[in-house]
Amino acid sequence: MAYLSIENVTKQFGDAVVVDNFNLGIEKGEFVSFLGPSGCGKTTTLRMVAGFEIPTSGKIKLGGADITDKAPNQRNVGMIFQSYALFPNMTAAQNIGFGLAVRKMNAEEIKQRVDEMVGLINLEDHANKYPYQLSGGQQQRVSLARALAIRPEVLLLDEPLSALDAKIRVSLRAEIRAIQKRLGITAIFVTHDQEEALSISDRIAVMNAGEMEQVGTPFEIYNFPKTQFVANFVGSLNNADAEVVDPDNGILAMDGVHFKTAEKEFTRRRKGDKVKISVRPERFSFAAEPMKDNVVDCIIENITFLGSVVRIQISIGNTKFNMDTFNNPFLDLPAIGAKEQVMCSKEAVLVLSGEETPQGYLAGVAG
Amino acid sequence: MAQTAVTVKGSGAAPTNWRAWLGVAPFFLFAILFLFLPSLRLFTASFTNSSGNFTLENVIQLFSEPFIVNAYKLSIQISAVTALGGGILGFLLAYSVTVGGLPSSLRSVLITFSGVASNFAGVPLAFAFVATLGRQGFITHILRDYLNINIYDTGFNLYSFAGLSLVYMYFQFPLMVLIMAPALDGLKREWREAAENLGASTTQYWLKVAMPVLLPSILGAMILLFGNAFGAYATAYALTGGRIGIVTIQIGAQIRGDVLYNPGLGYAMAIGMVAIMAVSLAGYSWLQAKTERWLR
Amino acid sequence: MNLMSRFRRFPFWSWIWFILGALYFILPLLATFEFSLSWDPEVPFKAYQRAFEDNDFWETFIFSNVLALATIIVSIILIVPTAYWIRLRLPEARRMVEFITLMPFVVPAIILVFGLIRIYSSPITVPFTDLQLMQPLTNFKAGTNVLIVAGYMVLAMPYMYRSVDTGMRTVDIRTLTEAAQSLGANWFTIITRIILPNIRAALLSGALLTFAIVVGEVTLASFLGVNAFGPYLFLLGQHRAYEPAALSFISFLLTWLAMGLIQLATGGQGQAAGAH
Repeated sequence: MAYLSIENVTKQFGDAVVVDNFNLGIEKGEFVSFLGPSGCGKTTTLRMVAGFEIPTSGKIKLGGADITDKAPNQRNVGMIFQSYALFPNMTAAQNIGFGLAVRKMNAEEIKQRVDEMVGLINLEDHANKYPYQLSGGQQQRVSLARALAIRPEVLLLDEPLSALDAKIRVSLRAEIRAIQKRLGITAIFVTHDQEEALSISDRIAVMNAGEMEQVGTPFEIYNFPKTQFVANFVGSLNNADAEVVDPDNGILAMDGVHFKTAEKEFTRRRKGDKVKISVRPERFSFAAEPMKDNVVDCIIENITFLGSVVRIQISIGNTKFNMDTFNNPFLDLPAIGAKEQVMCSKEAVLVLSGEETPQGYLAGVAG
Repeated sequence: MAQTAVTVKGSGAAPTNWRAWLGVAPFFLFAILFLFLPSLRLFTASFTNSSGNFTLENVIQLFSEPFIVNAYKLSIQISAVTALGGGILGFLLAYSVTVGGLPSSLRSVLITFSGVASNFAGVPLAFAFVATLGRQGFITHILRDYLNINIYDTGFNLYSFAGLSLVYMYFQFPLMVLIMAPALDGLKREWREAAENLGASTTQYWLKVAMPVLLPSILGAMILLFGNAFGAYATAYALTGGRIGIVTIQIGAQIRGDVLYNPGLGYAMAIGMVAIMAVSLAGYSWLQAKTERWLR
Repeated sequence: MNLMSRFRRFPFWSWIWFILGALYFILPLLATFEFSLSWDPEVPFKAYQRAFEDNDFWETFIFSNVLALATIIVSIILIVPTAYWIRLRLPEARRMVEFITLMPFVVPAIILVFGLIRIYSSPITVPFTDLQLMQPLTNFKAGTNVLIVAGYMVLAMPYMYRSVDTGMRTVDIRTLTEAAQSLGANWFTIITRIILPNIRAALLSGALLTFAIVVGEVTLASFLGVNAFGPYLFLLGQHRAYEPAALSFISFLLTWLAMGLIQLATGGQGQAAGAH
């Protein structure tokens, strides 16, 4: 039985279904991200766990108890807001102590706990400052300490880093993850930034238009995406139309070029089915290795130097693909217009269902 | 002159020469001629006695002469009462259309109407209240004919301090609404949610977060209301004809040259009033700055 | 969601305050209107007819409108270039100018007129000499007209300045000016063809507010002996019963019209003038 379970939760606003039959079980101490574009329902789902929205149907259970109808101030979950939401009339220390004061702890206990929290976020010198005297990153850390001070059962973070500068974002997310691990607290993190989700989560739930498309570890989500949407949203992807040639042996043809795939459900397909073939740019290589299953001819169309990565645009048949390879000063790059052979493994060839993809090689530009 | 381009002054530019100050000269000239000189004249005249020499006597008499002390007392009373009353009512009204959850169409109606009502002071307002609560007034009639209550029997009189206060409220609490509505908008929804999330009840949220944050705005607005009432003349004169001796009425009498053995007193009264208004404005500005700093 | 929480969300008290407030606002207007109609049961609008038949009404009302217009025009000519200049060439003067525009709050109409009369009822002389430059302004009609327009400009100044300043800020005057300069425009062209058109809403808002302040104004007008609508209405109230009510109601409608137009022009920001 999961520690926090969201069961068949649906939320409707009038006729609009914003969250559709969301199901997820989260273990104690787990860090789960809700990842998706704006409007996919991730924040609404989070707010239902916090109690600021009531599900139209479904249940939310925490530690075995049903909290679906409980008022927000009875749930003992800690929430971090995108806009920090620090009370402007109180110092950082007073903000942190607010939840404790509400619970009528005595002054001695409050001071002790507040000092502990201030130490946790490393803001000892700023504890008596007012929010307007603190930077965005500092305010968010105070907000974190404020939520943690009451020892919540779950920590809910609603795009906490979106309002911050890029550098602070990276350092603060690592800090949040470190604190979460140290305290062993269960956390749900909402974001639209796939890099954020990938770098700090135990598991990621990818959402699209109210539905959860896939949930899994970052490794699984990236390497074994189940739908077009997930594959495109997380990382970049080459997409093209293809046709099934030999279902039993996993062979499909794109522009007449044969590819072998290791997709598990492929044997269920029939010859002649129209499918989409997807390959991540970094799975192509020039190097000849006997284990690679797919060796195809291509023509080099363009070479772009992106820093640590070199992006080579190739055409296979009539379709253009992106191929990424690590930069190396001694790399012997082919000339534009040259005919080469590229290879990729059959596991790299994904055949995914679903929509949400523009055609051709421009699919799924990262971010 | 026509071909002179306007050069834009960037930051870090060299200090301006005197030529640039020519541009604001007309404005300053106007202010001097029609604002500062008259005020200065009043100021110096209040320290001059009838032979033209310097004296502090006029100012001292402000505090000793009974009818003057009474005038200030009355003015302060009516300003304080209507600032408090108008402030509370105005706040509740502003609350109802912002945080209080009424439909937004009602809000724009209220804001427009508040703009109208706060401008509707003076003679027409006095007449309107006479038509409402005067001896032959609309409400007076209704109360007498339908509810058998004759308000004039109970001692109520529109042309008294109470009546004047009631009339003043008509432009006081719209002013409060216009100031408080934006301030209440500034209460972020997330503060309430964060407070709830940390376990606070609605009352606790209002007591510990919302009210403290709003307090500077509320106080500042009430101070502004105070000054607003203090300086009102036409409404009081139109309603009571000078019977209620507030400071502005007394000053009006001075201008007309009513018998006063020492004209310097009139000036001193005027300066006393300016002093009170200045303190009121300073208080409002300080609280305003504090609010803005908090809600950055 | 159960029934109790649904009830919790209904803004019960908000409606109460709103209705109370609405009653307080509306009843006096209703009473005035009702009274204005009650002169002659057979001719309900008799009060209005009589009021409009009075030549003095037209004389004073038109004159007040003319005064308002004059105030508006001179204010714009004075304030727009000043606000523009401060923004672009002389930011140091901003604090001073803003301080000046707050002064009318400290010097209400009754004090202002007191001071104006005392200064301008003596001849204007060259300082420290006995040379007379001009007769006292208060001695002749044109003089008092100048005085009262100046006085009205002072009263309206805070609102006019704030309107114009806000308008300029929203439109980013600086960038527009730089663009115009790069295309070769001189300062006159810039002000008339670029600045003024772009702050139209702000100008309208300030103008309407000035209009509302001037037309009903009584204090300055009566002490300076100017033949304006305010004193006329007051005098009417001493002798007549129904016509003043009718004119008061009209005055209210006019104020509402002005405020409504301001709302339209500015998209919803209310504007308040102080008490009179």
